[in-house]
Order: sequence, then structure tokens, then C-alpha cells
Amino acid sequence: MSAEIEPHLKKFQKELSAGTVSLVLLAVLAQSGEALYGYQIAKRLERTGDPLLGGKQSALYPVLRNLSAAGLAASHVEPSVSGPPRRYYRITAFGRQVLDAWRQAWRDTRRSVDSVLEGQLP
Amino acid sequence: MTATPKTIPEYLEQLRAALRGADPALVQDALYDAEEYLRSELAAHPGTDEATLLASIATSYGAPEEVAEIYRDTEAQVSQALRTPPPARRQGALAAFFGVATDPHAWAGLFYMLLSLATGIIYFTAVVTGFSLSAGMMVLIIGIPVVILFVGIVRILSLVEGRIVEVMLGERMPRRPLYQGRGQPWLKRIGAMFTDPRTWSTMLYMVLMLPLGILYFTLAVIGMSTSLSLVLGSVLATLSFMGLGEFQGDINMLVPPWLGVPLCLLAGVLGFFLTLHIARLVARAHGALAKHLLVKTAQY
Repeated sequence: MSAEIEPHLKKFQKELSAGTVSLVLLAVLAQSGEALYGYQIAKRLERTGDPLLGGKQSALYPVLRNLSAAGLAASHVEPSVSGPPRRYYRITAFGRQVLDAWRQAWRDTRRSVDSVLEGQLP
Repeated sequence: MTATPKTIPEYLEQLRAALRGADPALVQDALYDAEEYLRSELAAHPGTDEATLLASIATSYGAPEEVAEIYRDTEAQVSQALRTPPPARRQGALAAFFGVATDPHAWAGLFYMLLSLATGIIYFTAVVTGFSLSAGMMVLIIGIPVVILFVGIVRILSLVEGRIVEVMLGERMPRRPLYQGRGQPWLKRIGAMFTDPRTWSTMLYMVLMLPLGILYFTLAVIGMSTSLSLVLGSVLATLSFMGLGEFQGDINMLVPPWLGVPLCLLAGVLGFFLTLHIARLVARAHGALAKHLLVKTAQY
């Protein structure tokens, strides 16, 4: 990739992931049967490709805290043998409702963006 | 660009350096998150040495500089989104004086003043009991677990107070407990409890909370009860002069009622708003005090 394009791509990816990271995290929590802690969530995301769009996993922690502060996820602390006590997150009923709304918004956005990109404007 | 860290404490040290100047509460949270991630990564790959692991961390979790930048960015976005918008600037001194009633910080501050008597008693008792118990037991071997328990309780209370202060007084406080010293021998970690200035400043804060709590509580109760009873009294007096109600007891007024009753009402209303102003001032000052004694001292 040419050096001219790269900064623009990076900036675009950063803006995109700022919008989608909450959605992705909430979806991971919704699909998991058990409560997850930060590192586990990061590793799960790592296995599914690169939903952070080249971003770093440290960005997940502040977002998790925000989800919890907004009432979309609940959290509790458990001691751990390997390090500091871990904070486990699980999705709340309200979080599931919000996730449904977000999912719909994401599908609509994707559809309309795709149709513009493919030149299907009326 | 600094050298790649070889050990986890080194990584945390670089992260702390990269966050220099940021809100101390944010620094504490960022360090805690990083430590959780790094220790988990280390536990997930037994047999790998720390230096190799930390070299690969740069691509997954991020190098200390990147992590610092991410936390700064997120904090800016979040505090913009979550902060209560400041009340619209009111024109004129009169509007500014009465506008305090629409400021949620003033009401939260008032509530904090009432609550601080209870929390003050709890903190004071915990610290004084714990301190004398640990000091007394120090000569015996069982003194050591007592001291560790005591310092642990003080840290938990400090976190709890931080949450109360952030919610009610609007001062950003840590959301994660202070965590340090993993990987050092435990005697050294006990030593660190005593050399950490924050242990002492937290205890000082908790001892201070009793007199402060009494002062705040008294101010809030006197301010509110005096002003509200003046307002209520003048309303009742007006009603009884109009023949709509009966006053029990004597009314000895130094001034004639046509002057005294409006004066009472005025004093009551002014006192009410004045109390709210005091509450807002206390909220600001106490938030700064809590930030200084509970968070700041050990940061840099």
C-alpha cells in the first residue's frame, strides 16, 4: 500500500471502530452463557478475525466500563490467582433490548452504505 | 520511543510515564486494566518468558504509548458524553444567586453533607480501631495479618468513598482499587504498604471525616431547618392574621407584624438559597480534598 493512502485508511478504521466496538462487545457478551472478563473478551474477538480494525485491545476496557456505567452490562469482581482481581461482565436485560436496536441500526446502515457503494442510487 | 519493556512492572512504569499529566484517577484505572491483561496473558502462556510475551503485547494490547493515547482519547469522549451539562450561565447577580436551585451539584452536595456524618463515623471508627488494634498486636506474630487486613479495609473504604464522591460531588475518582507489587516477595509488599504515602493520606482523610462530617451535617441541618421554618412560620402567621388558622402559643415580635412577617419570609428564602450555595461550595472544596488525599499523593 502506498504511504500516501495509509494514514487515510488508519484514520477511517479508527473512526469506524469507535462506532462499532460497543456493538461488538455487547454482542460478545450476549452470545456468551457466562460472565466474561476483559482478557477473555479480547481473546474471543481475536479469534473471529479483526473486528477492532487494527485497533488495540486496550481500547476494550474503557468501553466495557462505559457499557457497565450505562446499565447495558452488569459486572462483578472475582479474585484471580494470576493477577489483580478480575472484573466479570455479563449483559443485562436492558442491554439485550439495546443490542436489538443497535443490530437493526447496523443492518440498515450496512444496507444503505452498500447500495451507495454499488451504485444502485435511483 | 522508549525501549521495549522486559518485565510487567517495567511496562506499567512506562505506561504510567506516558500518562503523566492525565487525571490521576484515569491513571489508576489504566494501570489496573493493563495489569489484568498482562497477568492473564502470562498465565495463559506458561513457559514463555516475560520479555518475549511483552514484545508480542505491542501488537495485541498495545505499546504503553499507544495505550496511554487510547485512554486519553476515550476519557475525552466519555466525559463529554456523560457529564451533566453545566447550567446555562445566568445573567445578573440576582439570577446567579437564585439559579443555584437548578444546579444538581448543589443538591447533591447538600445530600453529601447530610450523609457525611454517617460515613465519617464509620471511617473514623474503622481507622482508629484498626490502627490501635494493629499497633497493640504489633509485638505479637498475629499482628502482621491484622495489619494487612486493616490496610486492605482502608483501601476498600477509600474506593467506596471515591465512588460516593464521584457520584455526588462530580469529581473524577478511580473506578479500580489501587493494585501494586505483584511479583514481589510478600514481606516487601507489606513494607510497601507502609512506605506508600497514600496509605497514610487515606487514613488521615478518614480521621478528618468525623469532624468534617459533623461540621457539614450541622451546617446543612441548621441552614435548611432555620430557613424552612422561617418560611413556614411566616406563611402560618399570615394565615392566622387572616383568621384562617390558630397559632398555638405566644408570638412575641419585636417589630409590628406587617413588617415582621415579610422580613421572616425574606430571611427564610434568602437563607434557603444561601444554604444551597454553601452546599455547592462544600461539594467543590471537599471533592478537591478527597482527590488530593485519596488519589493524588502517590501518583508521581
